[in-house]
Amino acid sequence: MPSGSDPFLPLLAEISEVRDLTPDIKLFKLNLREGRIDYRPGQFAIISAFGVGEAPFTFASLPEEGLEFAIRKMGTVTSALHDLGPGDLVGIRGPYGNAFPLEEYKGKDIIIIGGGIGIAPLRPLIHWFIKRKGDYGDLLIIYGARTPRDFAFSHEFEDWARGARLELAIDPPGAPEWKGRVALVPAVVKELKPSPRGSIAITCGPPIMIHYVIQELKALGFSPGQIVTTLEAKMKCGMGKCMRCNVGNKYVCKDGPVFTVEQISQLLEEF
Amino acid sequence: MIEEIRAKAADLLRSGEVKCFIGYERASDGLTARPFFAYSADEADRLIFDGTCVHNLARYLPDMRGKRVGILAKPCDSRSINVLIREGQVEREEVYIVGVVCDGVYRTTWGKPSRELQPRCLYCSKRTPVVYDYLVGQPPPAPESQHPASISEVEALERKPAAERWEFWRSHFARCIRCNACRQICPACYCPQCFSDQLDPLWTGIRIGLPQNWVWNVGRALHLAGRCIDCEECQRACPMGIPLAILNRKLASRVKELFGFEAGMDPRAPFPFATFEKEEEIL
Amino acid sequence: MKFLSNGNLRGWLESLMGMGSLIAPVDLEPGLTLFSQVRDPGEVNLEYEITPIPPKDLFFPSSEALFRFSPSRGYEIPRIEGETFLLGVHPCDALGIRLMDFPFLSPPADPRYEERRRRTTIIGLGCVKARPECFCTSFGIGPLDPSNADAFLVPVPGGFLVEAKTGKGARALASAKLKEASIPIPKPPEVSAIDVEAVRKVALSLFDSPYWGRLADRCLSCKVCAYVCPSCYCFDIRDYPTRDGAERVRSWDSCQSPLFTRQASGYDPRQTKASRLRNRFYHKFSYFPDEFGAFGCTGCGRCVRYCPVNIDIRETLSAILRGEARIA
Repeated sequence: MPSGSDPFLPLLAEISEVRDLTPDIKLFKLNLREGRIDYRPGQFAIISAFGVGEAPFTFASLPEEGLEFAIRKMGTVTSALHDLGPGDLVGIRGPYGNAFPLEEYKGKDIIIIGGGIGIAPLRPLIHWFIKRKGDYGDLLIIYGARTPRDFAFSHEFEDWARGARLELAIDPPGAPEWKGRVALVPAVVKELKPSPRGSIAITCGPPIMIHYVIQELKALGFSPGQIVTTLEAKMKCGMGKCMRCNVGNKYVCKDGPVFTVEQISQLLEEF
Repeated sequence: MIEEIRAKAADLLRSGEVKCFIGYERASDGLTARPFFAYSADEADRLIFDGTCVHNLARYLPDMRGKRVGILAKPCDSRSINVLIREGQVEREEVYIVGVVCDGVYRTTWGKPSRELQPRCLYCSKRTPVVYDYLVGQPPPAPESQHPASISEVEALERKPAAERWEFWRSHFARCIRCNACRQICPACYCPQCFSDQLDPLWTGIRIGLPQNWVWNVGRALHLAGRCIDCEECQRACPMGIPLAILNRKLASRVKELFGFEAGMDPRAPFPFATFEKEEEIL
Repeated sequence: MKFLSNGNLRGWLESLMGMGSLIAPVDLEPGLTLFSQVRDPGEVNLEYEITPIPPKDLFFPSSEALFRFSPSRGYEIPRIEGETFLLGVHPCDALGIRLMDFPFLSPPADPRYEERRRRTTIIGLGCVKARPECFCTSFGIGPLDPSNADAFLVPVPGGFLVEAKTGKGARALASAKLKEASIPIPKPPEVSAIDVEAVRKVALSLFDSPYWGRLADRCLSCKVCAYVCPSCYCFDIRDYPTRDGAERVRSWDSCQSPLFTRQASGYDPRQTKASRLRNRFYHKFSYFPDEFGAFGCTGCGRCVRYCPVNIDIRETLSAILRGEARIA
């Protein structure tokens, strides 16, 4: 059944691989049974655990890498998905939302700032920028988690560190094996003082982290147009119809989820 | 009476004894009443009290937790306050209760006041609030009940054969749109998560349909047994005309028969459904 | 315009019932009229005052299965069949259906809504009396305005003046025994209007006013205003498990519900009653017009009448016009 005729009907996909990324985040690789989903980094899909429900998830891979989603066990749908394994069937519809304007970033230094599961929409960007190094300036990745075990994609850190400067931090302290930085993500931004000149900062994480990261970047001289984030919201339809994700007169699902801080500052409500 | 209420509320607000006084003001139809939150002595001038003041203001007390508030309480409202205090939802010392002697309130809808008493007032045995810090009006001599009810709607329904009773509730519940007005207006419905919003286990879910509506309405009534003080606000708020008070009244009368308990009358009396006695009779 | 006598009404309704299902105002309880499937033309009450629920549920049902799914049988989609004649729709409710078209028919259109709309003929009914809560004239319509209906009836002594507005409407009227009308169109009842365009111009300047907090004090966070509203369309989608799969159900919901925007993490961007109340108001009078070029309100006054604590949207509109932060 093609998704085009009935926008609420998901395509069927088989889980081909599940990988534990952290104690509560799994990476799901999906194979579509039929049809195709053409997406760009920053967009999201709505995934069904049939019998439990649907929830929105950002694409965590580049299209050429296959369909991958990093899903943290949080509510009923994510718990049900965590119970599934290879061969199990899920539904997927999308893509929804805007995307990162990657063309616009060409020639600029890129600062990627992630916290916890917020690394999911940033991972395809990291892969993109590393693969196309010549098109962009320096790449700095700041990634924070609660404990060393809570870093998703730590199996890729070596690759990331080869193509970029990777700065990791945990908070709160209390992991004796951790030899790295103990700090909250905004504090790492403050400490590393990335230059705003010709830069774009892209951040995603818990709302409270985003708020403080924005504050630190502004203090360093970043203009609101140079700071990009991707917002989360409760969503049902993904098409601007169910009225669940509006922030003032903008829909996170249609106008977002990628917004510059300049755009966010014009939103009527808090996100 | 109105002047006394306004003066008392103004005093409480002026002296800083309360931050807010919850009473009634005239509604936008110019005829009926609506809840009003006065924050200054000047605003207290907007307070009114008459037979259109049907709302059970106790419903707002859990929203105001941590703030010292004054509240106007009819006898029924005062019983709700007792229930809330007894259930740990309201601190007695955070509330200044201005009780008001009540002759009953009328059936009203917006734009359509009447002079017909609400059914609950016919069954009500109290004209003086059961708890207050200050009383407006003269308490009548005992016995307080002034409107001996004839045959109740509960009895009338019980006399009908089971098939008819089933059809009665089926047709009413089929209409329910699950707008949650009954729950949101109820002083006893303060759960942070209602069973009807729970996803795991899925009691009713979001579906608006006869089986789910049935579980919802009956489930809610059961949760109110021994706690509902019959303010009938659920029935008044229902846009679909479902006679919810009949269910609540029936359960209240069973609780009274079995345990000799009436909700909200005595703030110290143990709750029938939250009390275990080693030697208790098995029903 | 033609004339349909009261005597010929029954015969016409019977013929409509022969062509499809007839949905019209029916008295179900004393004081309770609802749009219901008509079994006998005698049930139809064309003198009704108001139905608590507008006829939106005919196109956007309070709950419906979007599909059933099982791994062995795949998708099963409930079929929408037959033809419906929706009779007795007041101008405000006909406008409500038009407003509902904006979200549901904008691409990607909802095929269920589209199909029901296609299969339904809307037969409007003029209002000879206005209710105290009416303010429909604020939205470019009026008590006798036939726009947004396929056919329109105006009650007059002894019957109705009738008029087909579309081909569908002409088809519905084909079986009615009509005479040339000799009666003039009556004067519509007075309905006071609010200058909503002026409200829209200044509304955003009061977005952060303490007004919303004061108004929210008495709000119960129930969903009555939204469910009785002809143009409120928030919905929820959830699954119900079946023996070997799932049924996906869409149901009415409302941005007034405290759980509406709460994310699985527990984070909720719209935690306060004031922010939820404000969202409903601005959606109708600012965001919806920005998106679709029409106000998200029909002036039917149902939210005024059915709010259990009298949150009167007309008072809010006036307060904004006066630019007052004072609670009306």
